[in-house]
Amino acid sequence: MHKRGLLFYVKIYLKIIKQDIKSKMTYRADFIISNFGMIIQQAAGFITFWLIFQNFPSVAGWKYEEMLFFYGFSLIALTPMQCFFDNNWFLQQKVYSGDFIKYCLRPINIFFYFISEIFDLKGLGLLTAGIAILAYSWVQLEIAFSFLILLILIVNLFAASLFLIGIMNIAAAVCFWTVTGEIAMVFAQQFQGYARYPIAIFNRVLRFLFTFIIPIAFVSYYPSLVFLRPDNIPLLTWLSPLIGVLFFMLSYFIWMKGAKNYNGTGS
Amino acid sequence: MIKRYLALTRIGIMRVIQWRGSLLITFAGNIVYLLIIYNIWRAIYSSSPAETVNGMTFTDTMVYLVLAMTIFNVLNIFIVWIMGEDIRSGQMVLDLIKPMSFRSYTFFSTLGGNIVQFFVVFVPTFIIVNIITGGAIAIGLNIFFFLISLFLAMIIFFFIEFAVGTLCFYTESVWGINIVKETMVLLLSGAMIPIAFFPAGFRNVVNYLPFQAIYNTPLRILTEEKMPLNNILQMLFVQLIWVAVFYIAGGLFWNISIKRITVNGG
Repeated sequence: MHKRGLLFYVKIYLKIIKQDIKSKMTYRADFIISNFGMIIQQAAGFITFWLIFQNFPSVAGWKYEEMLFFYGFSLIALTPMQCFFDNNWFLQQKVYSGDFIKYCLRPINIFFYFISEIFDLKGLGLLTAGIAILAYSWVQLEIAFSFLILLILIVNLFAASLFLIGIMNIAAAVCFWTVTGEIAMVFAQQFQGYARYPIAIFNRVLRFLFTFIIPIAFVSYYPSLVFLRPDNIPLLTWLSPLIGVLFFMLSYFIWMKGAKNYNGTGS
Repeated sequence: MIKRYLALTRIGIMRVIQWRGSLLITFAGNIVYLLIIYNIWRAIYSSSPAETVNGMTFTDTMVYLVLAMTIFNVLNIFIVWIMGEDIRSGQMVLDLIKPMSFRSYTFFSTLGGNIVQFFVVFVPTFIIVNIITGGAIAIGLNIFFFLISLFLAMIIFFFIEFAVGTLCFYTESVWGINIVKETMVLLLSGAMIPIAFFPAGFRNVVNYLPFQAIYNTPLRILTEEKMPLNNILQMLFVQLIWVAVFYIAGGLFWNISIKRITVNGG
């Protein structure tokens, strides 16, 4: 397989996505209801925090607005995965049915071709909720705003989303080796939800687990500290963009190794 | 008459037991969830000046939330998903021509799943919680009322699921409809945060909604040992009213919907 340029892939991606969006738009009601559902779900998350702080002054020293900051940050970081990488959920089904073989037979990158097939519009509801919550807490906390801080925010959000995508890639790739791939996906999704809490409130075992094994501490906690605790930023916060890129690459290699092992179902 | 319904339930039980893998996922997922909420609520209570907040200590809250989680497992049998998929694939036509009402057919065939989850998830968790907390939950007449209340909660939850499943005839959106339902039920029933923590105004509104009858009612009957019999009977009565309301309204909604649907590939 010879290498193709980036421009070639961008062109192909836009073409495939256009088809997918066209086909989805025939179910317009589904698009509206799904996004509404996404927003309702996040509104409930917001209300949950609000209810807690109606009864308690803080969560181990973290203020209401700070908890919301972590939450909003994690929702925005979740968006790229939801929009662009949702096809991972259908990997297992395609591997078992044998349909996956179609991706192996095209002269383009297998991972790219598989992932590009679906653009999940539900992510837009997620993004809306995330921006609203982050903006609200940002204003309430009176965090200074400058071009530099916006740049750091974007870089950190980008890195955070790489961690989430990486986790889901690895979880999805499990199905190349075992028949219990579903378990890995369900678990990984469960952990995504826990990324909204500041990791500092957990005990040592969970902190270790969430930093070094299933790195959800990098989804919201470490990157947010730049804005919430600017006087005391840990080293891991600065390193998180670099680790994010490395982690994503690792997940890509695992996924591709699984795909190369794929023998089809013989039918 | 009742025999053919119970046959459906028996098949349901056998089908769920076949899926041991998914029971394992539930179990492992619960353990992680437990660890997380334990840590979160410990952090929340650590910043409180008082040990008891709204009449609930840290232990009370944990017991409540852990049991809420297991009730979620007992109740949640994906009826909306099954109905949505049956509508999409056209399989529903085959169930509609069966010689019993579709609602009863669905209820009794999914009841098997509830029963298995009750014995596999709820009972062991209940025993473990009671051992760890040194008998936080009194064992007496409250267990009897709890079982009645849980059964009523199950019926109410089934009717809500069934009504939402019926809605899928109109929308072709299963994911969106289901997530709205799940979010509303979990938040407004007190499954995520006990209703005791809701501000008074909010709590009043929630008390007039059917959702609190699903989690809050059975859990309070189980955990508040000093609750007067009068209160218990009153709460059970409210549950019965909701069962009646949903039985009639849900039935009407279904009868209207079934007349105007088209099922794919039928």
